[in-house]
Amino acid sequence: MTETVRNLYADFIRTFGNVLFAVSLFVVWGILTLIGVIVDQGKAPSAYYAAYAAPIARAILRLDFNNVYHSWWYVGIIALILTSLAVCTFKRVIPARLPALRPVKIDAIPLHATISVAAPVERVRESVERFFTQRGFLVRNREFGGTEWSFADKQNWARRGVLVAHLGFVIIAAGTTLYWAFGFSGDTAILTGQTVTIPRSGATIHLDRFRYRIDPIATKTGIVYQPIDYVSHVTASGKDGVAHPYVIRVNHPITIDGTNYYQSSYGFAVRFALLHNGRLASLSQPLYAGDSLKIPGTSRSIEFLRFVPTMDPQTKMPSPDPRIGNPAVALSLVRNGANEGAALVLMHRTVDVGDGWSVRPERYLMFTGIQYRYDPGVALVGIGAFVLLVGLVISFYFLPARFYVRVDPHGEGATVGLAATTVKGYDIFAEEFGTLVERLRTSLQSGG
Amino acid sequence: MFHNMPIDEVLLVIAIASYIVGALALFGFFLSRVPFLRNLGATLAILGAVAQFAQLVARYEISHIWPLLNLYGSLSLFSAMSVAIFVVFAFRYRLWFAGGFVLALAAMFLTYGVTWNEGVMPPVPSLQSYWAKVHVPIVVTSYAAFLVSFVISALYLVRYYVERRQGAAMMLSASVEPGGAGAAAGTATIAGPNDGISGWLASLPTLPQLDVLVYRSVAVGLPLLTLGIITGAMWAKEAWGAYWQWDPKETAALFSWIIYAAYMHLHTRNHWRGLRTSWVSVLGFVSIIFCYLGVNIWISGLHSYKV
Ligand code: HEM
Repeated sequence: MTETVRNLYADFIRTFGNVLFAVSLFVVWGILTLIGVIVDQGKAPSAYYAAYAAPIARAILRLDFNNVYHSWWYVGIIALILTSLAVCTFKRVIPARLPALRPVKIDAIPLHATISVAAPVERVRESVERFFTQRGFLVRNREFGGTEWSFADKQNWARRGVLVAHLGFVIIAAGTTLYWAFGFSGDTAILTGQTVTIPRSGATIHLDRFRYRIDPIATKTGIVYQPIDYVSHVTASGKDGVAHPYVIRVNHPITIDGTNYYQSSYGFAVRFALLHNGRLASLSQPLYAGDSLKIPGTSRSIEFLRFVPTMDPQTKMPSPDPRIGNPAVALSLVRNGANEGAALVLMHRTVDVGDGWSVRPERYLMFTGIQYRYDPGVALVGIGAFVLLVGLVISFYFLPARFYVRVDPHGEGATVGLAATTVKGYDIFAEEFGTLVERLRTSLQSGG
Repeated sequence: MFHNMPIDEVLLVIAIASYIVGALALFGFFLSRVPFLRNLGATLAILGAVAQFAQLVARYEISHIWPLLNLYGSLSLFSAMSVAIFVVFAFRYRLWFAGGFVLALAAMFLTYGVTWNEGVMPPVPSLQSYWAKVHVPIVVTSYAAFLVSFVISALYLVRYYVERRQGAAMMLSASVEPGGAGAAAGTATIAGPNDGISGWLASLPTLPQLDVLVYRSVAVGLPLLTLGIITGAMWAKEAWGAYWQWDPKETAALFSWIIYAAYMHLHTRNHWRGLRTSWVSVLGFVSIIFCYLGVNIWISGLHSYKV
């Protein structure tokens, strides 16, 4: 290794092994996360220009803040965090949390005390050891330059809590990486009676029927139409080609060959009859909201804006009731890309669109929105989350503390010098230290 | 007055009244250290929390609908849990002096919650999940623990800045009037040990003790928030297909989690422990309120329960 490379490596370790650097990474991670909360994600560019001043909208799009969680920023910051985590764990956490048994300068440690005892050194040493052992401390004796030290550790095992928490985080990161590498997801709409083949999974799903229940509920502010249930009855087959009936409900997904299928939405598609001079010219494919129907031989088209489950008979406007009653469709007439007006048309009513043409909403069909996802990392993420949680609980609820004890002869008797350190500073242990020292003093001075 | 009211509303009135009177009593205790006020405040805090839990049970008994799945129910649990966690801390760590702040906040959040009361409504399909019943109480309890950390860290900051000002005043008086008697007289009038504020400050826990209490309450909140995010992810996986969808509510919770994770790491550093970590805890609670109320009210997403 040349000098430069060695220096670079040392700089890298120093920077990435610094907790404040790690916390700065957390801050950047936090800010990016917050941006994604505030800026709507995954919308069309025009939506940002509509919502923000042009320079801000441009910045949002340039910086990928419209899809921040999948931007290289986000992935990069997590990669940096993982690197820092690894360096810190080996260079800092392990040496700091699992320190070797070494003598210390007792007076230099804020938690320290001295006890004088009128008894021989050996007996005092034994009593001290018994005192700590009885209280669940792990006591180890070592000699350094002719002086014997005792190290009494409380909850020593819990020193590894940080390592467990860090490991949990790494496992979660590994699980999400598995999804990025091998997983897939998407959604699909299936009309009643239609069969759809799901890309990548290869499963085929046929929608036998879709049912929903929505109840009107009287609340303090008026009637609310509360959805109670959505159910898709489907026949589906996986790789083996054998068809089985399934029921997919919200919160009750089904699994075929490891891919999960979820109830995610529903809606209505409409077939329109196109008439010329009052005679049926053609019947359209089912159109979804947002689809257009071209009027042959003209520069006009009809855009199907939305399906209205029921019209309010009094106001002649769409009712907020989402249940089917007196259904209609909202249409707009578009000529050369420009909107020429909109209309609400009841089912089976004909509307004139000019030049002898008219359209008639002929049939509506329910469709179910199914979301699918194959995620081979789920188990790993679950395990990681559990490990992380265990690590947090160990780190927070156990306080590994170490007493350093040396017993020196003093005249006829002995003096016991004690100091204590913990993994969380001194203040948190001050009371317990005081209590333990007093008990030890009483015990030693009463000859215990 | 109460005989026409349904039992749950009676309990609600008892809870709010207990919190308000209890907050006044504990503020009195904060300033005066009269033990009677502490005992009164403590009793009312317990009474209010018990009335609130009884109210939630009563609502469930009346409607047979899990009462926590709207903002009213969850704010009720939030205020009740804040008081409950505080009461446990107060008994364990002699924390009653901070109770006025906790009870006042609880009264405020509960009253605000009542404004969201729509009456009884069955939950939408995505909320009809076992996980919803587990997830909401866990998350709300973590928020409640952070409310307690917030109050203690705010008191830390008050104590810190008052002491610093006193320190500055003492230095000033010492430099203006150098010499034994003069300095003593100066400090006695501005910030001497018998001075009102000093005496009052001395009766609060010390800064390191307050810091340890903040840490202990974050130690309740952060594992719960982690567990809350995990149970939320499990529920999301069942309802929406993916355990993590980068929905505003999830990401806002992640943001708060990141702040408290930063708190925890900074707290391992000697120079950051205390003053700066207390500020991080205050910031953390601001983010919790944003995640809890801000996102629900201003930002729509999957958690506005479309399906
Ligand atoms: C950039 C990534 C990270 C780095 C560099 C890092 C580093 C550290 C260091 C150096 C310590 C203190 C050890 C000591 O001084 O005794 C620590 C403590 C800890 N870390 Fe991390 N860490 C990272 C991410 C995480 C994450 C994501 C978690 C998950 C919650 C986590 C959980 C913990 C816990 C629980 C402690 C113990 C805190 C305590 O005992 O009060 N760390 N970490």
